[in-house]
Amino acid sequence: MRNLWLVAKHEYLKIVRQKSFLFGTLGIPVLIIVVMAVSILAAIGQRGNLPLGYVDHTGILSASVTPPAPDKGERPVAIRAFADEAAAQTALEANTIQAYYVVPADYVQSGRVQLFFRDKRPGEMVQEDFADFLRANLLADHPADVQRRLLEGSDVTFRSSDGSRELDSNNVVSFIVPFVAAFFFVFAVLNAGSYMLQAVTDEKENRTIEVLATSIRPEELIGGKAVGLMSVGLTQLGIWVLTGVLALLAAAPFVPEVRGVRVPWSFVGVAVLFFVPAYALIAGLMTAVGGMVTDLRQGQQITGILNLFFTLPFFFLAVIMEKPNSPLLIILTLFPTTAFVTITMRWAMTTVPLWQLAVSWVLSVTSAVVSVWLAARIFRLGMLRYGQNLNVKTIIASLRGNGVRAAR
Amino acid sequence: MSTVQVSHVSKAFGEVKAVQDVSFEVYPGEVFGLLGPNGAGKTTTIRMMLDIFRPDGGEISIFDGKLTEAKKNRIGYMPEERGLYKDLKLEPTLIFLATLKGIDEATARARLGPWLERFDLQDYRQQKIQNLSKGMQQKAQLIATLLHDPDLLVVDEPFSGLDPVNTRLVKDIIEELRQQGKTIIMSAHQMHQVEALCNRIVLINHGRTVLYGEVAQIKRDFAGNALTIEGQGDFTHLPGVLEARRHNGTWNLTLDAGVDSQDVLRAIMRQDSVKLERFEIAEPSLEDIFVTVVQGAGHEEAADA
Repeated sequence: MRNLWLVAKHEYLKIVRQKSFLFGTLGIPVLIIVVMAVSILAAIGQRGNLPLGYVDHTGILSASVTPPAPDKGERPVAIRAFADEAAAQTALEANTIQAYYVVPADYVQSGRVQLFFRDKRPGEMVQEDFADFLRANLLADHPADVQRRLLEGSDVTFRSSDGSRELDSNNVVSFIVPFVAAFFFVFAVLNAGSYMLQAVTDEKENRTIEVLATSIRPEELIGGKAVGLMSVGLTQLGIWVLTGVLALLAAAPFVPEVRGVRVPWSFVGVAVLFFVPAYALIAGLMTAVGGMVTDLRQGQQITGILNLFFTLPFFFLAVIMEKPNSPLLIILTLFPTTAFVTITMRWAMTTVPLWQLAVSWVLSVTSAVVSVWLAARIFRLGMLRYGQNLNVKTIIASLRGNGVRAAR
Repeated sequence: MSTVQVSHVSKAFGEVKAVQDVSFEVYPGEVFGLLGPNGAGKTTTIRMMLDIFRPDGGEISIFDGKLTEAKKNRIGYMPEERGLYKDLKLEPTLIFLATLKGIDEATARARLGPWLERFDLQDYRQQKIQNLSKGMQQKAQLIATLLHDPDLLVVDEPFSGLDPVNTRLVKDIIEELRQQGKTIIMSAHQMHQVEALCNRIVLINHGRTVLYGEVAQIKRDFAGNALTIEGQGDFTHLPGVLEARRHNGTWNLTLDAGVDSQDVLRAIMRQDSVKLERFEIAEPSLEDIFVTVVQGAGHEEAADA
């Protein structure tokens, strides 16, 4: 067991000290931050500094009635009333307002308004601010809490009949996060698989394997590599989640949708529970491939097909959206290689029954343990076959025999 | 008690019989030569000893029993196929490999300094291994083999890639380890090195043992009816001597068939007119024996065919 941890630590440090890991791991958060920053800057710029004017022909609007103030963040644009279009137009030409709305007398019936601007059309946030202003005025006779509820809408929570799962429709994060997690998982798993394959074939190619084989058991070597790789994956995941949370906190004052975000802890828990065996499974499978082939190029050809088994649920995205509880998706939920991605994406659309989660997790863990065990044996069988591939017949014959007979 | 006992071991890979009925024992405090031409089965034998391959037949005992994980920590192995992580730095790689052999990191670090100094690698400890020369990598591999202070050392071609200075250094280290009571099994093609270092040898050819025993005895067994003599006087008319030739002050005597060299010595000692300074049975070198045995086997096979 000591050797397993030594190998795990060695693999972990070897990977995280590589420049490619730093680029791969920090590159994504940096990208998120850049995208967030650009959106925030764009959002800030959208409102402009000048007030917005309006000419009311309905007689029901009052500049003193404002929508409920946001809890925090940027204030809505200032709104000024004008007696007629000429006054508003003069103000627009004098550049004291950025644009003005004309609300016709039949607005309540038609819902139509006109927007006048000079060179640059006001951004969507300005238009939304005016829409909120209109709604607030139309609801001015109602109590403040009723106004707020009507303006903000309802927050519906869907619950499964047994109460084991719930889906919060208004929490945008509970919809987006599972999809993002699925994409990140696939990215991380393909990376990890490619790294594992390289690590195994490298040790064969640079002959380190013969020294290692006389120091530790293949199970310790492969198990250690799998644990090291999983730790790398969790580190990567941790950095991404942390960046995501920080980005959301930074964006909250500027992006209204982000303010009501609640962390979907139940999803985070399930994701971590399934992430670990999925990682071990890919590590085991890649090691087995690495043990069978003689060089990296051959291994990459095989793993290209293997990767399909992990990315398969993406091909059924339409089914996930339309029929998230279809038999096909239940099968993909239970199948170890597709479990993580299917569960995460279904999580956004439906309440995945507890029994499916439990059975899927047991199958994932079992297949992960079996894959690492099998990989260790195949690895031992093929570790000293320089320039010779292992064939399936040899592997099966060896696994059936008493103990592994390594071959030259 | 022997450190290694290989008894009637066999191993086949498909139709190819790599090792057939090979037996030998190696004791503490000796340097044992595992010799044979390329493809003879030496590396397969070593890999079976180290439990990388499992034999099809026969038994192997290491430290008086089956090779366990704990016993692996008492073995230092330098394979013929050298291998260290090319893209890692020298010091962490050597420490990692030593810790896999059961010693803690602090001990490995403390022991590493003197070895790096001795092999003149102290300035390269933070260099990536791929940036080291072939000779340096060879020395690094030797350090990896020795750092955990093994009781049994198995070194496959320890001198390949080394310059004369480093060859001398490695020979000195092997001799030191022998004096410390360690067991050293060495596979090498440089017969003069084997002759200089090994107490006993086994010669494997086509997977079979063709020679096994003490180097001196094997050489005696292969010695022809010839003597090398140095001294003053005339050595031409000695009884039982077929031919006596003088070359650079040394007499080379060819004896009649069946003549015992000890009889010749006694005959010389009885003569007052000669003064004997050197009397030596003209032994063939280990290299001559190697070539004779390996080529002889080849000829026999050709004749059988």
